[in-house]
This record gives sequence, structure tokens and C-alpha cells, in this order.
Amino acid sequence: MQTKDINEQIKWAQINKDVLTSLENPRMAYWVAVGICVAMIACAVVAEVYQYQMGIGVAALDWPQMWGLYIGTFIFWIGMSHSGTLLSAILHIVHADWRKPIYRFAEAMTTFSLMTAGLFPLIHLGRIWNLYWVLPYASDRGVWPNFRSPLAWDCFAIFTYLTSSALFLYIGMIPDLAICRDNAKGWRKKLYTVLSLGWAGTDRQWRHFRKTYLLMACFLIPLAVSVHSIVSSDFAMSIMPGWHVTTFPPYFVAGALYSGCAAIITLFIILRYFFRFEEYMTIPILEKTCKLTFVIAMAWSYLNLIEFSSVWYGHNEVDKELLLNKFTGAYSPYFWAMLFFGSVLPFTLAFEKLRRHLPTMFVVSLLLNVGMWLERWMIVSPTLSLSYEPFAWSVQWPSIVQWAIVFGSFGWFGLLFLVFVKVFPSVSMYEVKEMVYHRRRANVESKAHEFGRRSSDPQAATGLPGT
Amino acid sequence: MSKHHIIGLFSDFEQAFSAIAEIRDGKIPGVSVDDVILKSPIEHPEIEEVLGERSSHVPKFTLMGAIFGITFGFLFLASAEATFLVQPQGGKPVIPLPSNIVLTYEMLILFGVLFTLISFLVSARMFFKRDNLYSEKVSLDQIGVRLAVDEKNAQALKGLFQQHKAVEIREEVVR
Amino acid sequence: MSFKNILGDWAHYRRGREEGGFHNYEHKWGMAVDLNKCIGCNACSIACYAENNLAVVGPERFAKHQAMHWMRIERYWDEPDLEGEIPASQYQEQGASFLPMMCQNCMSATCEPVCPVAATYHTPDGLNAQVYNRCIGSRYCSNNCPYRLRYFNFWSYYESSWPAPLHMQLNPDLTVRDKGVMEKCTFCVQRIRVAKDKAKMEDRKVIDGEFNTACQQTCPTGAIVFGDLMNPESQVSKMWATHQVELGKTEQTKQNPQMRGYRVFEDLNTDPKVLYLERVREV
Repeated sequence: MQTKDINEQIKWAQINKDVLTSLENPRMAYWVAVGICVAMIACAVVAEVYQYQMGIGVAALDWPQMWGLYIGTFIFWIGMSHSGTLLSAILHIVHADWRKPIYRFAEAMTTFSLMTAGLFPLIHLGRIWNLYWVLPYASDRGVWPNFRSPLAWDCFAIFTYLTSSALFLYIGMIPDLAICRDNAKGWRKKLYTVLSLGWAGTDRQWRHFRKTYLLMACFLIPLAVSVHSIVSSDFAMSIMPGWHVTTFPPYFVAGALYSGCAAIITLFIILRYFFRFEEYMTIPILEKTCKLTFVIAMAWSYLNLIEFSSVWYGHNEVDKELLLNKFTGAYSPYFWAMLFFGSVLPFTLAFEKLRRHLPTMFVVSLLLNVGMWLERWMIVSPTLSLSYEPFAWSVQWPSIVQWAIVFGSFGWFGLLFLVFVKVFPSVSMYEVKEMVYHRRRANVESKAHEFGRRSSDPQAATGLPGT
Repeated sequence: MSKHHIIGLFSDFEQAFSAIAEIRDGKIPGVSVDDVILKSPIEHPEIEEVLGERSSHVPKFTLMGAIFGITFGFLFLASAEATFLVQPQGGKPVIPLPSNIVLTYEMLILFGVLFTLISFLVSARMFFKRDNLYSEKVSLDQIGVRLAVDEKNAQALKGLFQQHKAVEIREEVVR
Repeated sequence: MSFKNILGDWAHYRRGREEGGFHNYEHKWGMAVDLNKCIGCNACSIACYAENNLAVVGPERFAKHQAMHWMRIERYWDEPDLEGEIPASQYQEQGASFLPMMCQNCMSATCEPVCPVAATYHTPDGLNAQVYNRCIGSRYCSNNCPYRLRYFNFWSYYESSWPAPLHMQLNPDLTVRDKGVMEKCTFCVQRIRVAKDKAKMEDRKVIDGEFNTACQQTCPTGAIVFGDLMNPESQVSKMWATHQVELGKTEQTKQNPQMRGYRVFEDLNTDPKVLYLERVREV
């Protein structure tokens, strides 16, 4: 049973070879996956065109349920994007080097889930063609967006986050793109030559690179926290019972980290299987990711409990009634499912035997994300169905149009990700080389120390890079 | 006087370091360690022990970017909000603090990131043409030590490299 | 967009907060609805449909809660007594009550700050204005209204609701809204404008009772009273004063508890401008 995060005897040349193999011409399974994603996107496009022509009424939204799955799924996708930041930036700052083989696809996941989330504000608007009014541009009308509105804050925050994440992903990829450039032919060589910006691996470049990467990581962490807090303020800054809750910013951020980590586990298992990355995406690293997910799941469960307790403890009738309604009312099956998937199921991550069993982890991670998606829906709909005004109490279920668009968004994400893994290296080659090098040196030094020799002693040297 | 550009490729950092250490100790007259360019597949901060301290100006630009983000962000937003004198809303002030805190914070981060990025591209000279002595092996698993020396020192330098078990030595003569 | 605005008027901004805006208000249009007089006939609702070009959506869409009525009559029943003395009933005398709800034009409206494109704001007349042209249909304002008084055009009605020659009935004083736009009661702002313009041309102030809203005009029992709360002589101001209800408070202190005036959800700090006079019941 493997206990080391990575086999430090791997040669650097082998790392290059293994990862570059993943960029070769794809097999049939890949094209089938692409076809499925395109079909899903087609469903969503048809539904959206229908909605555009006929009006939002086809989504079975009504008075008072003015928001539905679109907003819920929007928040779900923004949430999923946080794990890339967690893995890349936070774990980088604390020097957790087990992140090195897996952070590349996690960051890609961040960028693509943001691009998917960005579609939903368009889709849910009544007059999509005027969306650009939310941007602060020099308008002839002399009217600017309303900066008091949390939706305008969303616009700024998501733009900043998407730009920063994409740049972070790109900058981190430059040394890898140089490796690809050196080994590619044809259109790929041209692409990588342009994208790698003339990277030559000089010490000057590495010096600046190290500083830049660290500084960007330092920016990205507070940015990720603030973005999801701002998205939560769509609800927290409103007056509705069940939404006007001060724990929403940390609750949403915890939920975001949770769903992102679960998605990392899913993609980890998929990439490991299809690209045969067993040497790099090892079981111990998966275990560490599962443990991290478990911790975040417990934090999320705690924040849930706190919200329930503080509503129960306070004497606000409206909030209390809403809470009871969530547990016993029309939406209660989904609410209980959310609690089960979100708080009970993560206990499978606490057992080593289960953590090491890949099919179980695959299914569990998918179900965890289902739970988190349900959580977003259960924030939106119950409050709108049971708010202050009794005459407006009603239950409404989404129509096929909403389901089709939500379904298609997964296809869009999948397509972006599939294109990414075939054009760009989904494992960071230079970081894995660093990981291997440092672990080997640490090994050598500890062995030398054991035998009372200096580590530069040729006899103590057990394999240096390149040999 | 012609310049000989020589790059020696080593199979590990130890040998490259000892070669550079000898150059630093002045084994080749007229060549200082500041002229040495090290090329490697991974970063290696310990290189500064032999190569000498070289600083990076990127953090200064980050700070500039953050400060610019705060000031520009706040002024831009406040002036935009100030045009809304005719449109008060919900009893909230025209330049509300919570909105401005949130948005200025985002602008801080946005401009901090952009300035950092630009300073990186400029400091690392990213858009310049790669020099001809680039070897693909550097991106694979070898470490290159590159110098430009006069004709008289070229042979001595090559000898030094070979002494430290260089895997390959390339030379380019520029007149 | 100038620094002059920021620097010059900073004190004005901060001070103006208490008043729910920064205007020197010319009027504060408000209403008083006497629930004792209301018989739930829905004539006011229909008058609003006629006056404001509201679309009749049809029975299926009405059942799906996609109706466009700006004025709605809510029906509530007292809970039937367990001993069976007070039976469940449709009759007002026996525990049923009607509550006509229209946009309360709150002085601290919760719907105003959340629109991303500033399509709703507070006018110098004290009205909450909805700018149809600017609305992009994000529906946050409707979600943030605790009274749920904002209605959204889920469909495009102008083709189906008024087939020729019914389109001749449309009120030319205001637009017909297309799909994707939010709308709500405006206290018949088109009538307010006409009255104000007339008064200005004649170089006088608007007289109380000179014009009325469509709902007030149609109500057979005279349950709805509309007027200017800034004019102490107007009927509506007198009603507010009699029932000891004031603007700008979240809880009224009444010397005489038998004064039956109240505002809906005023403890949410929305500062609504509609006074409801509680129905007198048999003891």
C-alpha cells in the first residue's frame, strides 16, 4: 500500500514524457465525451432560445417565486471555482507540496466554472440584450449602474475573479508551455511558442516568476473569500427571512470550498484513469484531498447548525416558521437530501479503506456535489415560497426549460475542460520535478545524517536528477 | 574582438554550482560571476549562494498597483455614485460605505494583480527573442550555465566545464 | 461625474439620510384605506387594469401565479373557533376580511437599492418610481419587497391581450410594457402629473381632491382616500393624524389605542405610505 505522496525516484525526463503523452491525439472515449457535452449544450441552447422568444414565463417562474434554479446554479458554479484557489494559492503559501501534481487541473476547473457561472446572469434576465447596462461604461444617457446593489457588486467581483484566476492559471503554466513548445510540432508548436512568451528558464526569469506567483497567490486568497461573500450578499443584503442572515458569507465560502474539493476528487479520479497518471495523482494525495474535503464538510455542517440554532433561539416568528417549513414543507425531501449528502455522506471520507477505494470516492464526490447543488436551490426557493406576506405563500417547481439549461451548463463546463486537458498539460511538470527533487534531497540528507556522513559525500548520493 | 557565447550543460545542480563557484573565485580572469546566466528546469533559490544576490522589483509594483486600485477605485465609484443625486434609493446615502468598501476592495485586487503581471513580464524580459544557445534539454532535465567570454578565455572556460563533468558544451561565436 | 459633487455636497448627503432621500419634497403622496368600508368587490383592481394598461393574462396563467394585477384584494379568514362557535365563513361579519394591497411607495423602500441598473428610485414626490425603459428584468426588487407588490412581465402580452379593436381601450397616457420588465402600482402617476401641470399653469398649488387615483375613483364605498401627506389640510393627512400614525417611525405610540390605523410591516423599517384602518369587529 503506497504511503508516499510520490515516488521520488522518478526521473525528470520521465515526468515530461508521461505528461506530454496526455496531449497526444485522443482516443475514441474522448470524442464520445465531447459528443455528450455538445449534446447537453444543445439542449440548453434550444431551451434558452425558446425562453428568449417567449419570455421568462416558460421557466415556470412566477409571482412570488421570481428566482429559481438559474440563480441557484449560478451560485453553485461560482462556489465550485473556489477549490482551485484553495489548492493553488492557499496550499502554496503553506508549502504543502502534495498539491503539486493536482493543482493545474484544479485551477483550470476554477476558470471554467467561472466561465460557466457567468452565463447564468445572462440567462435569468428578463431583457438579456440590455445586460451591458450593469457595466460602468460611458453612457450617453448619463446613467450608471446602481453601485448600491449586490448584483452590481457581483459584476465587479466576478470579473475580477475571472481575470485573476485566468491570469494565475496562465502565468503558472508558462514554464510548462515552454516544455510543450520544445516537444511539439505543427500548429501546437506555433501555439505554445506564442503562449510561452519566450520562456528560457534563466535564473532571472525564475526569480521574478517565483515572486510573481507568490504575490498573485496572496491576492487570490482574499479575493476568493470576498467574491463568494459578495455573491452571498445577493441574499444577505436583502430583507427576506432565511436570506437576511449574517452567517451567509462564511457559510457560502465554506460551501464553495466544499463543492470545489468534491469536484477535485471527481476530476482527479477521471484524469488518473484516462491519462494513466497513477505515478503522479497517487492514492496518498487523493487521501489528503479527501481528508481536506471532510474537514470542510464538517465546517459547513457546523455553519448550518449555527444557522438553525440561532433561528430557533431567537423569537422571530417569520424566520422560525420558515425554518420549520424547510424541514417539513413542500421542499423538505430536497432539504433532507441536502442534509444527508452534505453532512452524513462525508463521513465516508473519514475511513481509510473507503478513501482508498476509487469507485466509492468517485460516487461519493458526485453525490457531495449533488448535495451542494441542492443546498443552493434550498436557499432560493423555500424563502420565496414562504416570506412575510401570507397571501404570497406558494410552492412552485421549475419547468423543463430550467432543468434543460442547468443540465446544459454541465455540458459547457465539461466541454471547456475536455478541450483544456488535450491542449494544455493537466499536470504541472516543473512543479512535480521540484517536488521530486526536494524530496530526494531530503531523503539523501536524512540518510546521510543516519549514517553520519555529509550529504555531499558521493557514497551517500542515491540518484540525482537526470541519472 | 569576437565574443564567444558558451553554454555548458550539466546533469545536476551540484556540478553546475561548483563550476559557478570556481568562476566566482576568479578562475577565469576578467569574467565576473554577474555575467553568468543559469538555465534550469525548476527554480532553485539556493543558486543565490553562488551566483550572488539578485533582487526582484516585482513586489514594489504590486504595492503600486494596490494603492492605485484603492484610490482610483474609490474615486471612480464615488464620482459615479455622486451623479445619482436625483435618484436616492431606499433611504441609503448617495455614497454608501458598505458598497464602496466592497467595490474598492475588488479594485485593489484587480489592479494589484494586473500591475504584478505587467511588472513580471517586463522584469523577466519575457517578450524578447530567445537566444540561439537555448537547448531543449534545459526544459527536460539538465542545467545550463551560460557565459559570454572573449576569445582568449573561451578555451579556459570550456576546460572548466569539462572538469565539472559537463554533459555537453555548445559554443557560438559572434564577431 | 465630477469631483465637485463629491466635495461640495458631502454634508448634504450625510444629513439627508434621515428623510428617506435627499429631496426637498414637494409632495408626499399617500393613502388611507378603510377596511371597515371595503366589501371586497374588486372594482378597484379592475379600474387599475383599465387605467394602467394591465394585461389580462387568462385563467391558466393566473392559476400559475403569473397575473399582472397591481392592486390585489387579499382575503383572510379568522381561524375558526375550536368550540364551533365561530364557524369558518366567507362573510366579513363572521371572520373574513379583505385587504387591498397596492405598492406602498415606502419612504425607505427595500426594492430601490437592489436594482443593478437603477431602474427604481425615489422621486421628489415621495413616490417609488419604476423606470420601464431601464429595467433589465433581474427581479431582485420584487424578491426584496416584503409585501410582494411588484409584478413581472413573464410573457409578452400586447399581442394576445388586446386584439383589435380592444387596443383602442388602452390609456394613451402610459406605455404598454413588453416582456422582461418589472411593474407595479404608481399611485396613478400619470394623473398626478396632469394635475400638477394644470396647477402650475394656473400658478397655484394642487388642491386636495382635485384628482384621484383610479382605484379611489371606482371604489363604491369610498374606502380608499388618496392625497398629499405634506398638506396638513388634505383628507388623507387628517386621517393619519386622527389615527396617530406618523411617517418615519417603526412603531407608533398611540395615546388612544382605539384608533385603528396601522401600517403593514412597518417594523421592517420600510416606512410605507399607506394607512390601513382595521376592520371593526363584533366583540
